[in-house]
Parts: sequence; structure tokens; C-alpha cells
Amino acid sequence: MTATVSIEALNAPAPRRPRAGLSRWTWLLLGVIAAILLIWEAAVSWLHLVPEAFLPPPTAVFAAFLQLLVDPEFWQAFAFSMQNLLIGLVLAVVVGVTVGLAVGWSPVLRFTVAPFLWLLYSTPKVALAPLFILVLGLGNESKIALVFLLAVFPIILNTMEGAVTVHASLVSAGRVYGVNGVALGWKVILPATLPYSLAGIQRGAALGFTGEVLGEFLGGTGGLGHMLEFAAYQFQMDEAIAMVIVMVIIANLTLALIAVLRKRLAPWYDDRQIMGRT
Amino acid sequence: MTTTAADSGPAEPAASAPLISVRNLTVSYHVARTGATLTAVEGVDLEVHEGEFVTVLGPSGCGKTTVMNVIAGLVKPTSGEVLVDGRPVTGPGPDRAVVFQDYALLPWRTVFDNVKFGLEMQKHLKGDGWRDRVQEAIELVGLRGFESSYPKELSGGMQQRVGLARAIVAEPRILLMDEPLGAVDALTREVMRDEIEKLIAATGKTVLFITHSIEEAILLGDRIVVFKSHPGAIKEVIETGLARPRSERSVQSDPRFLELRDHLWDALQAEATQAAVAGGS
Repeated sequence: MTATVSIEALNAPAPRRPRAGLSRWTWLLLGVIAAILLIWEAAVSWLHLVPEAFLPPPTAVFAAFLQLLVDPEFWQAFAFSMQNLLIGLVLAVVVGVTVGLAVGWSPVLRFTVAPFLWLLYSTPKVALAPLFILVLGLGNESKIALVFLLAVFPIILNTMEGAVTVHASLVSAGRVYGVNGVALGWKVILPATLPYSLAGIQRGAALGFTGEVLGEFLGGTGGLGHMLEFAAYQFQMDEAIAMVIVMVIIANLTLALIAVLRKRLAPWYDDRQIMGRT
Repeated sequence: MTTTAADSGPAEPAASAPLISVRNLTVSYHVARTGATLTAVEGVDLEVHEGEFVTVLGPSGCGKTTVMNVIAGLVKPTSGEVLVDGRPVTGPGPDRAVVFQDYALLPWRTVFDNVKFGLEMQKHLKGDGWRDRVQEAIELVGLRGFESSYPKELSGGMQQRVGLARAIVAEPRILLMDEPLGAVDALTREVMRDEIEKLIAATGKTVLFITHSIEEAILLGDRIVVFKSHPGAIKEVIETGLARPRSERSVQSDPRFLELRDHLWDALQAEATQAAVAGGS
């Protein structure tokens, strides 16, 4: 090929986004956190502006946190919550991606089913939680159902959105080169939709965790929410706040895990394109 | 093919049966929203012989892509028929490959795997023979060294090279190219235009090449099919009669080129004026 040289010239590597300065922001953030903790400690322990019984100082919360980590009861509650969350999320992913692909891909379903999906999505499902507990009982089932219900809609709607936006020419290319029916779904539609689904799963996981804790809170026999409620009733505010921190950590670790998954499974996708959707 | 290049050109097409024949083709769509019927193309007759390079020129919305899609097997005719090698087209087949205007590469596949996608229909991917074919196609379009790049890491011109490699890897008899250089920048377009001409001359494929560039239609085509719109139909067919191999520079000073260009310019301008008066797009 005579033009090979010119091609390489035309393809100068794209400049990377500058990453310098990131650590400086991290340090600033850590500084702000330290300042907040210091003010909190000062207000409670030294100035006694707030009664310790209502708001224990950070040192007490930290001590309670460490105690939780060696408490077998805590790990039992942790396992209970995580198990329900995982089951509920797996169900939501399977149902959500399947329904989302079907509705996104079929114009008939899109015009008949999609409006109801949006309606359900905007319904405050949290209000249904007492009903779930009444019907499904205090055990695992009602929690799994709540996780599922809260997580499934963002997954369905994001997947649907992704399936709708698959370029017509990609589908044409698939057909021209002999990919039809199920294979077309598997080789073209699903991978093209994957980044959208994963963004939906990320959002679904965060909402699902809320569902799990809420279910335990309203009527449960175990789990982190139940343990938090118990601590609050006994006026052990240090333990209660430590529990909240544990939950924040769990929620963020889950989100980070799915973010890593997104990078691994869809490295071709430009994150910025779907940031608005997450 | 009135003037085949003496040495590098493909063999003269058999005077007998055409490779592609489009017979009285009409395609109309039903528009659900308004209940109206939209006719994309009406009464199109076209014959393309083996080894011919036919360019299709026309304003946007004249249905030239629809005709190509019927030949590709992507769209069913409303009436009339399309025969490829004497058999009616019922769907896509390994004898035809398409190069798309927007490349239509799978963004999650590397260059190598995108080109491999062109072999999907060949279920005989046994052994390692196919690897050599994919590699050969990649090298033919000048992309050696970019096998493991993702499409988004490549420029538009390079992405279309991948599209071209994907189309030729299965060695189809017919290449259908739908404004392949339409989205490529001007400089790259000129380089690639010459390369496509060389590539086709070397492989002897039959090509249907859609464009809305008059120069491109003349530079590449043995014959030029001019479309008109509302409804889409063939306006005229012109033999270019220019010697091959053609290079952009030599052809552009050829009196025949200038004559063709003026003629096509007038034809298209009349068409565009008519469309504007009719309130068309």
C-alpha cells in the first residue's frame, strides 16, 4: 500500500486527559473531612453544645465502629442483608435486562408497555413497603421483593433506552454479514446496550440497598437495618451512627464494584456519554 | 466497460447474463403516523455486469440507498424483482457485502475482530486459515499494526478502511458501497478514492458505489447512474469512457471529464431546483 505512511501520520495518538492535580484535590477533601470531624468533636466533647446522648463524638463513634467489627452479631446481620440484596439484585438484573431489551427492541411493546414502566418508575415504591411486609412476612422474602422492586425499574428503563439507541446500521451490518434472530441479539444488540444496562444496574443497586434497609427497618428479624433500629431504640447512638457509616461504606463499595465492572465489560464506551443517565 | 485498462484491468465482462439485474423495482413504505404511502423508488431497471464499477449519483432522498438495500437483501421489493447471478434475492448472502456510510463497526470489537465479523456467514471457520484471510484483508487496506485497536481509537478514514476490509474478507463477488467516503474528511477522501480504485482493479469485483459527489462518480465509475427524486427513479445512465488506471490529476484535465462534469452538474441542478419548487427536502 502506497498510502500507509500518510495513514500513520493522520492517526496521531489522541492526547490523554490531564490527570495532574488529582492528588491535590484528594488532600483538600481529606482536609475538609478532618475539619468537620474536629468541629464535631469540639462541639460535643469540649464545648458541650449538644448532649452526648443525642450526638456522640466521633471518637465514641469510631470506638463503636471498631467494636462492631469484632461483634459476631454484626457479621450475622451483615450476611443477612447482603444475601437478600444479592438475590434481589440478581433477579432485578435478569428480569430488568430481559424486559428492557424486549421493550426497547419491539415497537409494539414500546408503545404499549413502556408507558406503564415509566408510571411505575415514578411511583414512590417505598410507600408500598408496609404492604410487602404484610403480605410476605417479616422474613427474607419481603426484603428480597423490596430490593427487586426498587432496583428493577432503572435497569429496565436504561436497558430500553440503550436498545432503542442501537444504530440501525449496526443491525444492518449484522444482517448483511449473516447474523440473524437470537444471534443478532447476542452479538449486536446486547453488547451495544451493555453500557446502558450497567449504568442502570449501578443505580438499581443503590436503590436496592435502600429497599433492603427499609424493609428491615419496618419489620424484620435480622439484618443491618434491624440492628440499627435496635441500637436507636436502646439509645446507643454511637452504635447507631457507626451502623449508618457501615451502610454508607457498603453502598459506595457496591457502586465502585459496578463501576469497575463497567470499565472491564465495556472499555470501548466513553463514560461521559452516559454520565447523565446514572 | 468500454475502455478497460490494457494490463491491470479485470477481464471483459461476459456479454451474456448480467450479474445484477434490477427489474421494474418499486419500493414503497407505509407511514403509520399519517396513514400515507411513501414511494421511495419507482420502476427502476438496472443491469450490472461482472467486473463493472457502477456509480450511482443523485440528490439525497432519491432512493438510491433503497435500491442498494434491496440488492443487499435488507429491504423487500414492493413490486418488481432483483436477481443476482440469475437468482432472485431473498435476503443477505455471502456473494454480496456492504460498506456503510457511517462505517457501522462494532465498537466493542477490535479491528481484527471487526474484520473477522465479515466471515460470520462462512461457518467454515475451522482451522486457522481464516486468521490469514483476516490478516490479509487488514493489510490490503493498509491497517497493519492496528489489529488490536478499537474503532474509537481510529480516525474516520481508518474506520472506513476497517469497513472495507470487513467487506472484502469473505471475497464477495459484489461490493455495495453506500457513500463510503461521505463522512471522511476531504484530504483522506481523495487518498482513499485512489486506493479504492486500485483495490477494485486488482480484485476484479463488481461494484455499486453510491455518492453525491459528481467528481467521485466520474473518477470511479465505468458507468454513472443518475437518479431523480419524488419519486426516486433513474434519470439517465452514462458511460464514462475514461481510460484506466485513472489518477485524480490526469483525469481532471481530460476534456471528457470536463464534459461529463458539466453535463452531470446541469442534470443535478435541474433536479435540485425542481425539488425546491416542489417543496421537497
